Amino acid sequence: MSQQKPTPPILLGAVALGAAGVLGTYFAAGPERFWANWVLWFVLMFTLGLGSLFIVALEHLVSAKWSVPVRRIPERLATLLLPAIPVGLIALGAVPVLYPGSRPEAAHHPILAGKAFWLSLPFFSARTVFAFVLVVIALAVLVGGSLKQDVSKDPAFNFRARKFAPAFMAIFALVITLVAFDWISGLTPEWYSDIFGVYIFAGAFLSGLAATALSLLYLQGEGRLEGVRQDHLYNLGAFLFAFTVFWSYIGFAQYMLMWYANMPDEVIYYKVRLAGAWRAITFALAALHFILPFFALVTRDAKRDPKRLRRVAILMLSAHVLDMYWLIFPALGGSPRFGWPELSFALFFLGGILLWIRGAMQKGEDMPVGDPFLREGLEFRL
Amino acid sequence: MSKKSYAVLGLFDTPDALMHAIPKLRAAKLGTVEAYTPYPIHGIDDALGLRRSPLGGMVLVMGVLGALTAFGFQYWISAIDYPIITGGKSAASWEAFIPIMFEVTVLFATFTAGLGMLLLLNRLPFFGHPVLSSKAMKSITRDRYALALEAESETFDSAAAAQALEAAGAAEVEVLPAPDRSPFLTSDYILRTLGSIFVACLVAGLGIYSLIKWFPLLAPMKYMQDQPRLNAQKASTFFKDGHGMQPPVPGTVARGYLPTATGTQEAAATLVNPLPRTKEVFAQGRKVYSNRCEVCHGALANGAGSLTAAYGAKPANLQAQQFRDYPDGKIYWAVVNGKNAMPAHAAYLTEPQRWAVVHYVRALQRAQNATDEDLKVVAP
Amino acid sequence: MRTDASVHAVPIPEGLLEPALTVGKVTPGSLDDQVLAFPETKPPKQWYLALAVTLTALGIGVACIGYTFTTGIGAWGNSSPVFWAFDIINFVFWVGIGHAGTLISAILFLFRKRWRNAIARFAEAMTIFAVMCAVIFPLIHVGRPWLAYWLFPYPNERALWTNFRSPLLWDVFAVNTYFSVSLMFWYLGLIPDIASMRDRTTSKLRKTIYTVLALGWRGAASHWQHYEKAYLLLAGLATGLVLSVHSVVSFDFATSVVPGWHMTIFPPYFVAGAIFAGFSMVVMVLVVVRETMQLKNLITMRHLDVMNKVILAMSCIMGYSYMMEGFTAWYSMNEYLHHGFMNIITGTYGWAGWITISCNIFIPQLLWFKKCRSSYFWMILVATGVTIGMWFERFVIIVISLHQDYLPSAWRIYKPTMIDFGILLGTFGLFFTLVLIFARVLPVIATTEVKAILPDAQPSHGGSHE
Repeated sequence: MSQQKPTPPILLGAVALGAAGVLGTYFAAGPERFWANWVLWFVLMFTLGLGSLFIVALEHLVSAKWSVPVRRIPERLATLLLPAIPVGLIALGAVPVLYPGSRPEAAHHPILAGKAFWLSLPFFSARTVFAFVLVVIALAVLVGGSLKQDVSKDPAFNFRARKFAPAFMAIFALVITLVAFDWISGLTPEWYSDIFGVYIFAGAFLSGLAATALSLLYLQGEGRLEGVRQDHLYNLGAFLFAFTVFWSYIGFAQYMLMWYANMPDEVIYYKVRLAGAWRAITFALAALHFILPFFALVTRDAKRDPKRLRRVAILMLSAHVLDMYWLIFPALGGSPRFGWPELSFALFFLGGILLWIRGAMQKGEDMPVGDPFLREGLEFRL
Repeated sequence: MSKKSYAVLGLFDTPDALMHAIPKLRAAKLGTVEAYTPYPIHGIDDALGLRRSPLGGMVLVMGVLGALTAFGFQYWISAIDYPIITGGKSAASWEAFIPIMFEVTVLFATFTAGLGMLLLLNRLPFFGHPVLSSKAMKSITRDRYALALEAESETFDSAAAAQALEAAGAAEVEVLPAPDRSPFLTSDYILRTLGSIFVACLVAGLGIYSLIKWFPLLAPMKYMQDQPRLNAQKASTFFKDGHGMQPPVPGTVARGYLPTATGTQEAAATLVNPLPRTKEVFAQGRKVYSNRCEVCHGALANGAGSLTAAYGAKPANLQAQQFRDYPDGKIYWAVVNGKNAMPAHAAYLTEPQRWAVVHYVRALQRAQNATDEDLKVVAP
Repeated sequence: MRTDASVHAVPIPEGLLEPALTVGKVTPGSLDDQVLAFPETKPPKQWYLALAVTLTALGIGVACIGYTFTTGIGAWGNSSPVFWAFDIINFVFWVGIGHAGTLISAILFLFRKRWRNAIARFAEAMTIFAVMCAVIFPLIHVGRPWLAYWLFPYPNERALWTNFRSPLLWDVFAVNTYFSVSLMFWYLGLIPDIASMRDRTTSKLRKTIYTVLALGWRGAASHWQHYEKAYLLLAGLATGLVLSVHSVVSFDFATSVVPGWHMTIFPPYFVAGAIFAGFSMVVMVLVVVRETMQLKNLITMRHLDVMNKVILAMSCIMGYSYMMEGFTAWYSMNEYLHHGFMNIITGTYGWAGWITISCNIFIPQLLWFKKCRSSYFWMILVATGVTIGMWFERFVIIVISLHQDYLPSAWRIYKPTMIDFGILLGTFGLFFTLVLIFARVLPVIATTEVKAILPDAQPSHGGSHE
């Protein structure tokens, strides 16, 4: 049974306040600042939703049993992709402002001229819309089907999901690479890194895992999700730990290879991020996204301790925000911007995301009660 | 050795039977309860009241130590002891030290886990434990589960222990004699172990050292010292005269020394001096002139050089009207190709040097035939 | 809302159930009798025949290496500009094959996939043998192998140190660590099995050898506790190695500026390729093992099915990597990258590029079909194709990028010599010789680990471990 709790007025107030600030940013701080923030939050919403959907699909792909009781959480988080779509469509307004490849000057740029058609607004938008369509299909199959199974108790969904999971992996690879290359590295179209899709995947997956862990702990705190034990928490913690290491490995590999070869067209990306105040942010990213979570989760006990997991999950989500900020905001040039525009956007979007997730947490049962493997999942022991 | 029994072993047929027996036997407090199983049984650690293994902490510490050691070692070598810039990277580039740091961390951690578990925590290798020579051992590593009540003190009552085991469901009971062993780590054992390690290292070290010194001197390794190539200032069987070093083939031109005025001197008249008339050019021209030309043509280019009549030829007086009327190109041609008794100078004068000396000769000609105009001071 | 086990559970339909991990009745005793029979009995004639073949191949390899030793690297095809060829191709190839074993033993252990238990021992052994084959190449390709100890930073009279900024040195440490850790992991896993052999054997000589090797293992629960902790820790550490070792190998190429080598995707791409090649080799060997050693009840079609799925997944990851390389070759607007990529599909060695793509991407797609995953013919066809394809992939990366890089005046054709092929053949000979010997000397299945997952192996407490 879902619980209908009244929306706390503080959330609504924050969103309203944020909205005012967001509007104000466009006129007072300028369109570039506005669009940088808008793109940042679009990317955050989209990677979080996509990462959560990846978790769901992965569970179906490997026929994992332990995760069935907790699968509803990433399914609900994945619905964040739905509001992310209109946000993304609006974000297309950023393309002529922040993305040099789409501007008419690109046709004369020595590097951009050959791919100006690819980077232009029409093709960019077409790719984005295509990605959105694929994502909606995936949501319908994986999340819609799962919610329906609550009522129908029909195992046919499991068969369908297992068949769809590999297809989703292909969709996911395409969409995440598109987001990475178009929305994020498209800000600096003369630069390229073929591991970038994998890097964004690592961040998205981690943010999905962290959000799942945080939601799980929140629901457990509310007395929901009875039957989910420390054994399940441990697995989640282990994944968080493992993929923290994976993200760091990908991030370091990209940095070290570009540092080593020292090619001017590649290294400029890091030179910008190691100059001036950005240097501090780069170090902060390494500390918050790798060093702290690594040592916080390295012991076996830490991985199943609810208090520790809650803190680390919040840390990981903040680190993910910092990661996307570090990737996107240097496009504004100069030192890192942080002021009332960023705070307003944070209030607005964070509030909106929380509102949406609160709503999602009321959808369907807290566990996929129609799944034949639910009992086995609940009986899971390390 | 002693007739005292060390432990009483009870064999069980199923893991469930084993697990049910454990709390009963622990409660009986007849001795330390130890289990022997062919594979690890879930939940047995808690049932036996075993303390958590400290291995995780040990491995973490040693892993961190490995990381610091590897990083520190690389840093000291690359940035302090013998810093060399390679690939344009600073000697202390930390990025390059990460891969090895990671691998050494894993190495330290692995050896701590493996050897720590075996040597420290499990005290293995140890071949003297009475269970190893018991009748039950065959079943223990095959398919049955054993519980042992081990003597904690002199007052161990093996009969009561055997009874308790049977009561708890043991299919067979066996009494084990005391182990024929002294405590594991005696000073004798430590000394013998360290001694043998030391001797082994010594032998291995000497062996490897000699091998490394001798080996490269054996065939085929020494073939590399003896290479069939031309070495400077050595004899060679390749050339007829037996010399390794040969003069260049006639007609060889060094780079930058191509003859550039190959036609007749008249044809060269059209060549234009490409060098500007700057102080540096004149200085160079003067240098070339005093090294190459002055000995014959004299310091003032009037043909009064240091040659005696024995030379047989008279150097041209460049102050003569004929030569003052020469275009630059014809003087250049003479420098490059020589004229009459004057040898060609192209082989050791670069293009700029040749043209510079032309400027200098012109300067000498003007100096010896100055007009009033030349004496006018140019306004600064 | 109460959602514990008392809630009405949906029955699990047949199609979603997974087949059992063992076929027929298997007890700990029958397991020992079946698996440990091999070290205890003399091998059949076919084994000697197979050994003769592998030893011949090994002999050819040794002769070729000997010839290289005495004559020099000129005996190989390496020449400007392709200064690295078969030597590095084979090195990367063999190191890659080793990764499957570590993944099966370590990563699948961490994921608690119980199907790994029956195949982990063999896979780990293959890792060790593959790394032994790989290590030959860095040693012999330096020209003066007797000076190979210069690779290690030891204090010397010249006050020289190794260059820690070189990925070649990172390789030395990575591969050595990998070998040591794999050996340690494999040996620790063997201890309880050797203890079983020790307690079964009637021969005095064998009993002495096994006693020493088993270190006096007696199956004490207090020992098992530390042992399991060590095993878990080693599994975690080895997992890090699976990712890092082949990434460090990829750094040999990716840190350079050669077009086609300096791609940031190389680290995960190489790791995926390694797992891909390794699993294929494991599948091929296990098919032979389960047939010739009558182990079909322990190495079941489910094991092969799952391994084939992993091969398929890796093939898809490789496909993604190839597509990213192609996309980047265009997106970078870099004419050198573009030329390098076009060379792979239309250049002098384009045939190698097409072998790679067909064997690595197209043919493994057959594994989508259950029929192919359960048929010996198809799975061996795919696995052989993958082995060939992955060898050629290294060939494509190394030879194609080197033979035509920035300076057209330095473009040349590369031709390997018979010595190159001879040494490659020799490493296959070494690998399979070691595999054959291992199969008759040590338990090919980790009996202890399989005993632990048999039904009724653990006390009943109503828990599931999937």
